[in-house]
Amino acid sequence: MERRSFLKGFGVVAACTALIPQIANAAEEAKKVVGPNEMNYDSAVAAITGGKPVTPSAKVAISAPEIAENGAVVPVKVTVESPMTNKDYVKAIHVLASKNGNVRCANIYLTPANGEAYFGTRVKLGGTQDVVAIAEMSDGTFLSAKQNVKVTIGGCG
Amino acid sequence: MKTLIKIKPKEYKVGDVVKVDFMAMHPMETGMRKNKDTGEIIPANYIDEVKFMFNDQLITKMIIWESLSVNPLMSISFKVSGAGTLKVIAKDNKGQSVESSEQITPKG
Repeated sequence: MERRSFLKGFGVVAACTALIPQIANAAEEAKKVVGPNEMNYDSAVAAITGGKPVTPSAKVAISAPEIAENGAVVPVKVTVESPMTNKDYVKAIHVLASKNGNVRCANIYLTPANGEAYFGTRVKLGGTQDVVAIAEMSDGTFLSAKQNVKVTIGGCG
Repeated sequence: MKTLIKIKPKEYKVGDVVKVDFMAMHPMETGMRKNKDTGEIIPANYIDEVKFMFNDQLITKMIIWESLSVNPLMSISFKVSGAGTLKVIAKDNKGQSVESSEQITPKG
């Protein structure tokens, strides 16, 4: 009898140890799933445009300082030239920081009720990089503009 | 979560385009920073969705990430179509949400 119960116990322990690495793996996977945040710049752009071409345009104006002493607070303003009527308006403005841990900063979905396609915010920048604005127009085209910001002290950490 | 809504300029008429500044007091943790004393990673905690509504009609929806600064400022334009309530609903990745509103009273 003793031998049998020992074997039973052994079986349970064996099953548990077999399970543990799987749970650990699942935890690792979950960490990776945070992953849409860990997209590289190109795949983040592709996720926004769905593979459509992005044309740099003077219609999109991005205003950010050329040199930011403190990367923790970098003011960014984006304006897109558009009449903002029901037929012709800016659907969305996407703001990206090309070399941040998470390149995506904000997606702003606008409506004609905005009257003007404008978005202002303050972002953290981990280092010297481009801040990119991509505007999605109501006719399905994507326009962009970028501004290089030199960061003296990084804003992450 | 404390919030602040500012309309600029203070006086406006129907048809004017005003700027709406929305600021939320939020740590905007990236999930990459470490606690300097214990060495533990501070979990990510950031506002991920903000909605601007006027008289219950959605004007602007934002999906945002941790790259925005601590106590993030979000500023949009808004064409005053009449009197009413401008409501801003902000939600963070931990499910905490806050609703704040501001009266829109055009003059003339």
